[in-house]
Amino acid sequence: MMSLRRTAAIVRKEMLHISRDPRHLFLVTLSPAFLLFLLSYIFSFEVHQLSLAVLDLDRSPLSRRYLASLTADRELRLTHAVDRYEAILPLLVDGQADGALIIPPGFAEAIQRGQPAQIQAVVDGTDPFAASQALAALSSRSGMFVAGTAGQPVRSKPIEVRSQVWYNAGLESLLSMVPGLLAIVLVMPTLALALALTREKESGTLEGLMVTPISGPEYIAGKLLAYLGTGLISTILASLVAVLWFRVPFRGSFPLYLLLAGIYFLACMGVTVLIGSFVRSQQTAMFAVLLIFIVPSFFLAGLINPVSTESLPSLLTSYALPTTHFVQISRILFLKGLGLAAVARPALILAGMGPGALAISLCLFRKKVA
Amino acid sequence: MLVRISTLIVKELTQFRRDWLLALFILLAPALQLLLLAQAIERGIHEQPLAVLDLDRSRLSRQLVLSLDNTRELRLRFYAGSMDQVRSLLDGGQVRLAVVIPAGFARSPQQIQVIADGTNTVAAAITMSAVSGVVNRFASDLAAGYGLVMPELIDFRTDTRFNPTMNFRDFSIPAQLGFITYQVTLAMASLGLARERELGTLEQLMVTPLHRFELALGKGIPAMAVGALNFAVMWLISLALFRMPMRGSPLLLAALTLLFITAEVNWGLLISAISRTQQQAILFVFIQAMVDIALSGFIVQVRNMPALLQALSRFVPLQHYLVIIRSIMLKGAGWEELGPQATALAALSLAAALLALRTVARRVE
Repeated sequence: MMSLRRTAAIVRKEMLHISRDPRHLFLVTLSPAFLLFLLSYIFSFEVHQLSLAVLDLDRSPLSRRYLASLTADRELRLTHAVDRYEAILPLLVDGQADGALIIPPGFAEAIQRGQPAQIQAVVDGTDPFAASQALAALSSRSGMFVAGTAGQPVRSKPIEVRSQVWYNAGLESLLSMVPGLLAIVLVMPTLALALALTREKESGTLEGLMVTPISGPEYIAGKLLAYLGTGLISTILASLVAVLWFRVPFRGSFPLYLLLAGIYFLACMGVTVLIGSFVRSQQTAMFAVLLIFIVPSFFLAGLINPVSTESLPSLLTSYALPTTHFVQISRILFLKGLGLAAVARPALILAGMGPGALAISLCLFRKKVA
Repeated sequence: MLVRISTLIVKELTQFRRDWLLALFILLAPALQLLLLAQAIERGIHEQPLAVLDLDRSRLSRQLVLSLDNTRELRLRFYAGSMDQVRSLLDGGQVRLAVVIPAGFARSPQQIQVIADGTNTVAAAITMSAVSGVVNRFASDLAAGYGLVMPELIDFRTDTRFNPTMNFRDFSIPAQLGFITYQVTLAMASLGLARERELGTLEQLMVTPLHRFELALGKGIPAMAVGALNFAVMWLISLALFRMPMRGSPLLLAALTLLFITAEVNWGLLISAISRTQQQAILFVFIQAMVDIALSGFIVQVRNMPALLQALSRFVPLQHYLVIIRSIMLKGAGWEELGPQATALAALSLAAALLALRTVARRVE
């Protein structure tokens, strides 16, 4: 039978541990806020500037005007002027330029006669994002230049695309990244739990506890509650950084967010308790959390690229990661400001994960004792 | 001296025999992770769900819808009946983008409306530009039908170097290789001394004739071996299974990889030397790993960062190494091009080694 008093004793013991060591206190309360602060700056990329090398073989006023028109919106920068074709490749190889533009002799003449002028663009395809961005920017700026120069009025497009962006009207990446990153940095409380569970095994204090009347489930519940509590405190602190420092609007209900964060912690921590029953050293626990939660979360949780539906193994992994669901919840509550109904699916999945994993580890634990 | 170091190495390796789960994580997980991540980021952003509210219901509007569905980026999932339904589809996240075709579109095709879900800005930007592309082509096909052909005055010839098909996998796999090697090496090296100190066995080691330099070597060599082994296995997987190109010299790649691993081991030893407990060391490693992923240019190009962060990224060995491995594998770069990166790695490695040795000395005496 589980005793509330004994569980509370474990919670108190854990709190004492935490409050005594300032570094541990930082890990469980402030580290998510600190990481969010740091990572948000790096991930909120707005303008991609691309640098181009130019080989202008025409050297006419028109070609110079054309080149100047390319840099008008500062997306493209002309960083290198070269005088031979051979000089281009080395610039691409060591990454000094993303691409190169070659204007052939007779460029101005052709344009003035209204004939097509050939321009050659060489881009570094190593980074497909940058390469396709460079090509798109080049062709759209060139189109505008030609439309302006050839004396024709800029033809109005027959079909106008009127775009609206909902939930993030300015399409600001900071607003989308900060709520997403919150889900990732909130893995830190789980790490704290993983270390707390294995440290007692490693230092031998677990055996001491086991001879007291405290039972296995009480011990686990006590640890879980302690880190759930500090996790919620760290959620509040990190959310404050998001709202006050980064000025991300919080449009949903914050008590609901805290409740769902609790369910998210329970899911992560349930999986950790399950793994923890096999793990004996803190080093292994660290590897487990790093390889199971942190690294896949950056790539598979839909933080930057949406969850890929094309490959089954990666789809399954994405769904098995608690972070994927909390990235969704976090963005919906911060930006869309909807209620419980909108987050029901991810919330239910998370709510199933925690108790599920805990039940399995309880069964395993029983077997070990028996 | 050699005997003493090798005894220490053997001692380090017996740890694996006792903790089989640790061995499993260190030797198998990296290769598994490569397989998984390489699959997931193979294709970039494709097949994003789209809803269409067609208020025109004409042949022309259906043609437009069909050409939207024919792009790689978009997949038509819902025909919405009303604006309310569009809103609920976007709210619920069932679609990422909605296109509204107004009534009367077939009579005068002038305007369509696009509504994007801005909660993920990357996906929003890519899907919106896909729609613009489709609509532009659709419009010029229409204009061509009316005989309003606009001459193409600039004829663009494009030539994509190094990765002509712009395959996203070729871009990301070298980075994954570097990154996975990085985490395993750092995690291995950073706990060695801290663990001994926490368990109280460091004092015992100190009363043996081991010099602190030998101690560092004995701790560092197993970590280097684990890192190198992991790298070799993953490199072979990426060539055999993912058909990655290898345009540069394998020897140069091996040499610079070893230099990179050494730098990370030295850095790990430094973390290990300044932490009093394993928990502290792990805290350092985690924060370091997150910051390093972010600053390495793996997810965000270094060029696009604010100036201060760009300067900071010069001190991240992983950032230099990602340039090295991508340049060698994809661009066939040689020693001349990679001199600056190699020098930076060597300098960072040396600095960390000197700091680590000094800290160990101070901590022990």
